[in-house]
Amino acid sequence: MHIIKRLTLSILLLTATAVTSMAQYYSGSHTFDGENKNEVSMSLTTGKNIITGPCIGNTVHYRHYFDEHWSVDGGANLQYSKGLYGFKAKGQYHLKIKSFHMFASGEYMFNHYHSYNTNENVGNLSVRFERGYWDITLGGSFIGYNMMGDHYTEPVTLTFGAHATLRPRTNKWNVGLLFRNYDDFYYENWNINWGLDFYYRFNPTWKLFGEFNVRPAGSMSQLASKYETTGKVGVIYRWK
Amino acid sequence: MEITMKKSISYTLMAAVALMAASALFSSCEKVSPTGVLIGNTSVDDRVKQSLVNFSVAEVAWDKYLADTIQEYSFLVGSDSHITLDPGRLEEMLEIGMEHDDLFFCHLGDLADTKAEYYNNTEIAIEDATDEWMDKYLEPLLKEDGEIYQDTTLFYDPRTDCIYRKDEHNIFPTALPFYPVVGNHDITHNGWALFSRLFKTSFYEFTVRVICDNDTAYDRFIFLDSANGTLGSYQIDEIENGFFQRDNKKIRNTFTFTHTNIFRPSLNEFASTYCREELYYILDKLADWNTTIAFWGHVHAWDERDFGGVHHITMPSMNFVDHPNGGDDLLVRITVKKDGSYKMERVGLHSKQRTKEELVEQGYTVP
Repeated sequence: MHIIKRLTLSILLLTATAVTSMAQYYSGSHTFDGENKNEVSMSLTTGKNIITGPCIGNTVHYRHYFDEHWSVDGGANLQYSKGLYGFKAKGQYHLKIKSFHMFASGEYMFNHYHSYNTNENVGNLSVRFERGYWDITLGGSFIGYNMMGDHYTEPVTLTFGAHATLRPRTNKWNVGLLFRNYDDFYYENWNINWGLDFYYRFNPTWKLFGEFNVRPAGSMSQLASKYETTGKVGVIYRWK
Repeated sequence: MEITMKKSISYTLMAAVALMAASALFSSCEKVSPTGVLIGNTSVDDRVKQSLVNFSVAEVAWDKYLADTIQEYSFLVGSDSHITLDPGRLEEMLEIGMEHDDLFFCHLGDLADTKAEYYNNTEIAIEDATDEWMDKYLEPLLKEDGEIYQDTTLFYDPRTDCIYRKDEHNIFPTALPFYPVVGNHDITHNGWALFSRLFKTSFYEFTVRVICDNDTAYDRFIFLDSANGTLGSYQIDEIENGFFQRDNKKIRNTFTFTHTNIFRPSLNEFASTYCREELYYILDKLADWNTTIAFWGHVHAWDERDFGGVHHITMPSMNFVDHPNGGDDLLVRITVKKDGSYKMERVGLHSKQRTKEELVEQGYTVP
C-alpha cells in the first residue's frame, strides 16, 4: 500500500506539473465543427501478442453529432488472428468550460474471444478533460465475462488516460505521447499502455491517423513485460 | 509558429524534469523500481529458459522425491511473506507443517523483498528447517544387508519410500520439500540472482504417486512463473508444446501455484492482473488440465470461488507488515484423501516480529 500511496502522490504531482505548464490553446478536435455531423473512421492494426502471436485486424467507427453537445458513436472490431470480434456503442456529452473541453461519456462494449469461447461485456463511464496540448481521462470500467458456463464480474476498475501532443490540436499535423489503461476495444486493469500517435489533416473532411502502442503486462508489479505491441493506421472522413 | 515551437520544447523539458523528479521519489523506496511501471528490468522468458535447463538436469532425481505410494497426505500453502530481516513467519509456517506432518510446503511468491541480507536470513531459516526436517523424517540409507552406505549424504524417508541425497538437490539446495514460485517483489532490482541462488527454477512440476481405482495414478503439482504479470511467450510455448503432458501419466488431481492473481477480491486492489487474452487463456488452460485447485497470491487478500470447474483460492499475505499480530487464517492446508477428494482448512500464524538485537543474538544477518 505504501507503493500505491507513493505512486498516487507522484501521479498527482506529475499531473499538477503538466497542468500548470500547458499553453492556452483551444483544442476541439473531438467536437462538432458546426458543419459536418457525420464522421467515419477505418483503421488497420498489426502487431504481435504473446498469446496469439502475430495479429492483424480492422476497426471501424461511426460518430454522429447531434449538436455541439451530444454525439453517439458505434464501432466494430475484427481481429482475425486473435479470433476476437467486438462492437461498442457510446454516447457522449460535450461541454466547454472556459478554455477546457469536458467530455462525459457512457459506453457499452461486447467482445467475443473465439479461442476461449468467452464473451466479455464492458460498461464504462468516463470524463475527459481536453485542452490544446493535452487531455486526461478518468472513469470506471465494469467488466464481466462468461466462459465455460460460469460468469464473473470484476470489481470496478479505474480508467485513466493521459495524452500530450507536440503541437496544438488546431495544427494540421501532430505527434503525441499516450499513457492509458484502455484502447478502442478493451479496458485493462492496472496495466499501462504507452506509445506514440500522430495525425495529418489533409482538409476539413479527411484526416490520416496512426498509433504505435505498447501494451505491457505487470505495470503495477513494476516489472512491465512484453505482452503486445501494435501499430495502427487509418483514415477519418467527415461529411454533412 | 516559432513561439509555439519554443513553448513546446520548454514544456517537453519541464515534463522530462518532472519525470526525473518522480523517478527520484520512487527510487528512494527500496521496494520500488520506477522504470518498471513502463519497462521491467527482468524477463520472464530468461527466467523460464534458465529454469528449464536446471529442471531438465534434475528431473530424474527430482521426480522420485514424492513419487511413491501415499494413501493420504497434506500440504501447507502460504503466500507473500515479504521477508525483510526477520524470517519468523516462514519459520513458523515450516514448524507448523512439521508438527502436523504435512508432506510438503508451497509458497506463492514474494517470499522475500529484494535485498541480499533478506535472502541471507531466508536461507538461514530454510537451512534450520531442513536440519529439523531431516532429523524428524529421514534415516540413514541401509544396504540390503543392513549396513549403512559409505556415502553419508544418502538418506531414506520411510513415509514415502524416497531416497534423498542431501548435497545433490539440483533444483533446491536442501532436502526440505519447500516449493515456491517467484513473485514480483522477489525479483525487483534484478532479484532473480538472489532468488535463484536458493531456488533454481521458477517453472516446474512434480507428482505424487497414488492409487486410483486399483491403478497407479498421480497428483500433479504445477508451478508457473507469473512474476511479471504474464507467463511470457517462452513459458506459454512450453505449455503449448506439452510440457505437462510429456510423461503420459494418469493424473488424478492437478494443483497449480503461481503468484499473479486472476480474481481481484475488491475494487481497491491495485495490483496488476493479467491482460485480457492471457487471463482467458489461463482460465481455459486450467480447465484443460482438469485443475482441482488453482492457488494465487499477489493481492494480499483472501478470495475463494469456483469458476470453470476449478476451485480458485487467492491467499492472504503472511507478513509482519500486513498482520503484525498474526491471524488465524493466513495459511491453507489441503489434505488429499485416499479417494482423491480433499479437505481444506485455514491455519493461523501468530509469531511477533523480533527486534534487531534478538535477530543478531540468533545468528541472523543484520546490517
